[in-house]
Amino acid sequence: MPRWGMVIDLTRCVGCYACTMACKVENGTPPGIWYAPVYEKELGHYPTVKRLFIPALCNHCHDAPCVKACPSGALRKREDGIVVVDQDRCCGSRACMAACPYGALHFYAKEEGEYGPERTAFEQAFYKPYKVGTVQKCTFCAHRIDRGVLTPACVETCPTGCRVFGDLSDPDSEVSHLIRRRNGVQARPEAGTCPSVFYLR
Amino acid sequence: MATEQIPVYCYQCVAGPDLLKVVVRDGVAVGVAPNDDFREIHPACGKVCVRAYGLIQKLYNPNRIRTPMRRTNPRKGRHEDPEWVAISWDEALDLLAERLTALRAKSLLDEAGYPRLAVTFGSGGIAPAYLGTFPAFLAAWGPVDQGIGSGQGVKCYHSEHLYGEFWHRAFTVAADIPHCDYVLSFGYNGDASGGVTGVWRHAEARAGGLRWIQVEPHLSVTGAGADEWVPIRPKTDAAVLFALLHVVLHETDWRRTCDLPFLEWMTSGPYLVGPHGYYLRDPESGKPLVWDLALERPLPFDDRRLTRPALDGTFLAAGVEAGADDERWAVADPVRPAFALLVEHVRPYTPEWAESVSDVPAATIRRLAGDYLAHASVGATVEVDGTTLPHRPVAIVLGKTVTNGWGGYESCWARTVLAALVGALEVPGGILGTTVRLNRPAANRLASVKPGPDGFMAQPVNPTSREQWQDAPHIRNAYRTLVPLANDSPWSPALGPAHLPWLFMGSPPERWPAPTPPDVWIIYRANPAISNWETGRIEAELERFPFIAAFAYTQDETNWYADVLLPEATDLESLQLYRAGGTKYIEQYWKYSGFALRQPVTASPCDVRDLTDVATELAKRCGILREYVEAINRGAGVGVPLRTEPYDLSLDPSRPPSTAEVWDRACRAATRSLTQGQEERDLRWFKAHGAFFVPFPEVRYYLHPAMKAQGLRYELPYQERILRMGRELANRLHERGITWWDLQLEEYQGLPAWKDFPDIWARVALKHGRRPEEFPFFLLTTRSMQYSWGANVSLPILADVARHVTGHFGLVLNRSTARRLGVADGDLVEIESPTGQTRGRAILREGVHPDVVVAIQQFGHWATPVARDLGMPSLNQVAAMDLELTDATGSGADLVRVAVRGVDAGSGTR
Repeated sequence: MPRWGMVIDLTRCVGCYACTMACKVENGTPPGIWYAPVYEKELGHYPTVKRLFIPALCNHCHDAPCVKACPSGALRKREDGIVVVDQDRCCGSRACMAACPYGALHFYAKEEGEYGPERTAFEQAFYKPYKVGTVQKCTFCAHRIDRGVLTPACVETCPTGCRVFGDLSDPDSEVSHLIRRRNGVQARPEAGTCPSVFYLR
Repeated sequence: MATEQIPVYCYQCVAGPDLLKVVVRDGVAVGVAPNDDFREIHPACGKVCVRAYGLIQKLYNPNRIRTPMRRTNPRKGRHEDPEWVAISWDEALDLLAERLTALRAKSLLDEAGYPRLAVTFGSGGIAPAYLGTFPAFLAAWGPVDQGIGSGQGVKCYHSEHLYGEFWHRAFTVAADIPHCDYVLSFGYNGDASGGVTGVWRHAEARAGGLRWIQVEPHLSVTGAGADEWVPIRPKTDAAVLFALLHVVLHETDWRRTCDLPFLEWMTSGPYLVGPHGYYLRDPESGKPLVWDLALERPLPFDDRRLTRPALDGTFLAAGVEAGADDERWAVADPVRPAFALLVEHVRPYTPEWAESVSDVPAATIRRLAGDYLAHASVGATVEVDGTTLPHRPVAIVLGKTVTNGWGGYESCWARTVLAALVGALEVPGGILGTTVRLNRPAANRLASVKPGPDGFMAQPVNPTSREQWQDAPHIRNAYRTLVPLANDSPWSPALGPAHLPWLFMGSPPERWPAPTPPDVWIIYRANPAISNWETGRIEAELERFPFIAAFAYTQDETNWYADVLLPEATDLESLQLYRAGGTKYIEQYWKYSGFALRQPVTASPCDVRDLTDVATELAKRCGILREYVEAINRGAGVGVPLRTEPYDLSLDPSRPPSTAEVWDRACRAATRSLTQGQEERDLRWFKAHGAFFVPFPEVRYYLHPAMKAQGLRYELPYQERILRMGRELANRLHERGITWWDLQLEEYQGLPAWKDFPDIWARVALKHGRRPEEFPFFLLTTRSMQYSWGANVSLPILADVARHVTGHFGLVLNRSTARRLGVADGDLVEIESPTGQTRGRAILREGVHPDVVVAIQQFGHWATPVARDLGMPSLNQVAAMDLELTDATGSGADLVRVAVRGVDAGSGTR
């Protein structure tokens, strides 16, 4: 059984947000909910300054604190390492959001459209049937993986090729090679969650 | 549940097309995905940019203009509700055709000599991908003014377009990134404006070890990926570029560091220059003379006996100089080669001098020059498609505000001379022109290389001789009269001084026919009331336009003044075949060349009509159907002739063709033209497959082989022809008593010198009764990948994304500066220029020069839904439209001197 993971090469990202938009379109997430945001950080002081773009998403942690914190058992880890939420079981306590060190879970508070409280006919067709009052999150595009498409939408679309997706349990996979060769690091290792997302600098 | 994937292209920026598929489920477009069928063909592996993902939201935007509308309030003004009333397409076309036929019956030109019909499109690089056969309608019509601007000349790479095409067929100049090791970028923001091909190539190159230095006043997204950011004061790029020339020519042994064979045999470097500033010519042949060191005598530049052309030295030679008009001088004086004059010319431009002007440390300039030379690999070669070419992996690229307006000529010249010094011009690794727009054929820039006078390429320019100069403007921006380099191609109206019509309408200069409002103005994919400078002035003029027909996506600030609105068929609602690949704008150089189709993906939610339908209907109603169809047959609008050897797919000019018929013929002609008549694909095939490509040899990226084959030289470093045309233009204008263009005439120099460019903007205050010291900051703009070109400011989804990218929805200020002003992050600040004010929230950053404020893109909307609620400040609201800010090419720069203060009581000072 694979353990899916992602490598993000920060030297390639230019903060274009194509991944963010591709994810939005693929997953039909409601207004204001973005599974794949890109954060920006400025380092240094004038005139020696660097600007860094940091694509983010659910880390699908090996030791996922959100799964542990979920009081209703809505959050679970699949055998392939992907953390998913069963919105029919979600009670909306948001304990998972409090437990996640990465801010990767999103509470869907209110149904509305991009242009106002009423959704347009397009929005009714476009947004997936997410339940109000539940927590939603990135699934590594598990629905694509389950039908044999082994690239999440963000990976497929990234114009710089900064995201690579693959099997962390396979030492010969591209992700494993990249992590070894370029010393991939996980976000907030001190949290002890063992993320499945690695960053290259 | 029926799901389809429809292949289309996105051309929402000049770096298109992106090839994609739209997912349609049960008749509703719900998704966008890269078109994997072209993964191997597209240079960025078929990737799709952020804007393309907004196309489905664009289609279903509830704020769209859904039906044709007629204005019922005859009064026009920002505070006058147009009182739109929905009408049918028939009524709308009747309304427009009635105006057009009346105009046609009267005369195509008005009393002042200007075309009564004017049309304005947005970016010239994008609109054609969405115009359908409308260009054929315009071709059939006769004189049309396409030079009333909507920001052209300011928002593009104007000087680079004109000078680049003059020097090396480079309407746009790109680094040959895949072969390059070192890029020196002066504000070039290709990660925002170069499309997915640009960002993909840059990322690949960074991973491969390319070193990229970004010199710019604020740290752009392209600068974010650079190895080093070098802050610089705005409009001082030419000073640093001049200093780089100084270091190469005075602080290194140029005989060792430069590419001498290139300079001797492929430039005008050895041409002797006489005391009057013109080439010393052979009295008999009129050819420029070169001093031959072997024979120790002057010879015509193409004399077979010439073996050792001198680049340096002073020689006593006899000949003639041919100046402006009839000026001729017999010369028997000590003369020097053009290259020696260049060396002398840059002597004063030391790094220390440049530091005092630009804030870039002299040591940094020396280091950059050294690195440039070290990476140039003079003497190296590389094999491309079986041809051995010089390999010079260094490139200097320039950004919009660097190439536009005053200082643009100097910057473009210095950059191109720096390339020539090491032979990094039009060879692998160096700088490339990727397309021509002023020369022909437009689809093959190598074929545009033809021998001209003096051993250079033939250059089509607007004549300045007494006999041929056009002494009165034929359209309102007067490019034929004022701008020789703008030439007279279909693109030239947009490449003239496109803001002059607006500037002169209210107050024409002396001895000049006042630009009249056109009887009928058609506008499409443009919003000059937002995108031009001094937007309030544009609105005031729009009130006077007698009839405006606007193809409209939503209500916006310009179509607020329209008389009839025609709902725009958006990207996913209309049919058009468009040329893709080969070499095109910016970094679009592909290994394939072909055509891609855009097609309706589903039923439109609005009552729209394809622009080809509209054009055909208007041609029919205006009685010019035959001329219109014949224009299509020649290739107008469809991008490929329908009748040429070896095929004839022409349409019957006696009846109106259907849109499907037009594009079916275009598809078949396009594939025939690509395959020398061997293969043919029809519309049905294109609808299923999306695009058709054939291999495009990489060696065709480079002008070098065509230049060598014809024994031609680049017209560098000396600009004799520019000097002469400037003096002739001065003579012509002065003969007419026109002196208001004298400032612009100063730009025509054989070797351009530094002028205090930043001061030009500072002086604007004096004209408005203010002191320059009151406005100590420069306000700049920068492109946003999310918003540039796409006409998508009314999409909330993009606003939501853009909110996370620094600079959107605020004004970027240096953190230390803000502290001094008492402004905190998020505070409301007011920007004041001598001509206006705007406000925005402060975004404090370290990555911006302390004297600079940045307002991203162009906003300031008050009528466009969604955008009007963004509260986004705009440079255009405070930029003065001013002749003194217009350079010789008719271009200006997005730059304003401003004061900045916190708005909250007592929190800020100037």
